[in-house]
Amino acid sequence: MASYDALRHVSIGQYIPADSAVHRLDPRTKLAIAGLGLVAVVVTTTYVPNMVLLVAILAAVRVSRLSARYMLAGIVPALPVIALLALMQLLFYGNGQGTAALGSRVLLSWGAIRISTAGVRLVIVSLMRFVDLLFLTSLLTNTTTSSALTHGMESLLRPLSAIGLPSHELALVCAIALRFLPILGEEAETIAKAQASRGLDEPRGGRLAFVQYARRLAALIVPLFVDAYRRAEEMTMAMQARCYRGGRGRTYYTRYALGRTDWIALGLTVGLLIVVALAQYSPLP
Amino acid sequence: MSYNESGLRRAITAGLLLAITLLLVFARLGMIPVPTPAGNATIAHIPAIIAGILEGPLAGLIVGMGFGFASLTSATIPMFKDPLVALVPRLLIGITAAWAYYPLRRASKRVLGIMVAVLYILLLVFCREVYLSTPWAGIALAVVSTAGVAYLYWWMRREEAGIIGLAIAGAVGSLTNTVLVLTAAVWRGYIPGDAAWGIGLTHGIPEVIVSAIIVVAVVAALRQIGRRKGGSSL
Repeated sequence: MASYDALRHVSIGQYIPADSAVHRLDPRTKLAIAGLGLVAVVVTTTYVPNMVLLVAILAAVRVSRLSARYMLAGIVPALPVIALLALMQLLFYGNGQGTAALGSRVLLSWGAIRISTAGVRLVIVSLMRFVDLLFLTSLLTNTTTSSALTHGMESLLRPLSAIGLPSHELALVCAIALRFLPILGEEAETIAKAQASRGLDEPRGGRLAFVQYARRLAALIVPLFVDAYRRAEEMTMAMQARCYRGGRGRTYYTRYALGRTDWIALGLTVGLLIVVALAQYSPLP
Repeated sequence: MSYNESGLRRAITAGLLLAITLLLVFARLGMIPVPTPAGNATIAHIPAIIAGILEGPLAGLIVGMGFGFASLTSATIPMFKDPLVALVPRLLIGITAAWAYYPLRRASKRVLGIMVAVLYILLLVFCREVYLSTPWAGIALAVVSTAGVAYLYWWMRREEAGIIGLAIAGAVGSLTNTVLVLTAAVWRGYIPGDAAWGIGLTHGIPEVIVSAIIVVAVVAALRQIGRRKGGSSL
């Protein structure tokens, strides 16, 4: 347990306040764009559409006045692993998996190693996809507060409640999770210190060290779950005592309205997706 | 007309279990170093399993989805930045755990014994199939299966039936995570099939054992909240 004090400060994708067009967008717009972007990034497999997406996302990062370097900083420690995995992908993808169907040529073949053009494309596209998704998720979480995200998500899902999807309950789950994250972090810290004070040692190593780790972890995790469950029971009772009735007929204090910027952003996104789709299904590389 | 109480409790419990998941993922807690290329065995999937067991498949689905998103957001390697690898397989963790638990809750030991026997036979058949394509994996799997099943049988004789059901649900949930994530990774071309088998066996098996242990410990402790009032909670 490296540092007990860090546990209470855990946060997801820090919100960075700034005054940019992206920050000012409605959370629903941002969620919709992020969702569409996600699908587009995952589905495209060739060079040209991925380049288009990468350029578009970098432009969005620029508009948001956030620092791309900050977003990339998180992966710096993992660069050796990424390089190694990319190398393995490059060397071994050629074995099977229907590469012939993709019109792939084998560039180098030696024993189990087979480097093909399909493999090269896969590695490069994977890396581009990785950067795309990194920026996309950072853009979303760095320009939108958690509560705005929850509101936006519930609002987007509300039409689906007509077919039985509990949009309000889903939003409640997210809101509770985000609210209790620092509280449980603090709780975990307390538990860790309490167990340490009762002599819970570092595992001594050896081949079956992971069993010791597991036992030690259980001593930390089980009280955490028990605490969370107890809070859940109390909270249920508290909410019912305050006549909580769920999402039916509920109105909201913060209200969001789509502005001109939102429609422009949505229009641009749809246009971009059409271009990407055309590029993906055309004979371009 | 009163609001659906169990629905509210399900949402709140799911919310808190999701909070634990997020804590485990973002504070990088619960990483058990295992000497494999993929680094650490994780326990962040366990809240999803517990959500499925305690509150049903829907709660398990939601916490699993949260785990997927958290994993996606905090990933530093390309393989786990892909939603089809990090998100979609995780949806099923809570669901399979719930489906495994519900029928086994009240199963008698004889039923469980028969199940283990059937499982062993299926495993051997599966080993043979694997052996035909990847010999070393087939043999490794057979050895592991035999050892595992023998230990399982010995343990089941000593343990209560309810606990066994929990352990199986925990194991099923963890296996869902490992198998589906690795399958997705191979399908998307990130790792070759052999590497997937290697990671699956070296990672998956400790994770399954750890999951079973912790799920049993947690649910057993939660069931006692109502009964035992005194004593420290830490």
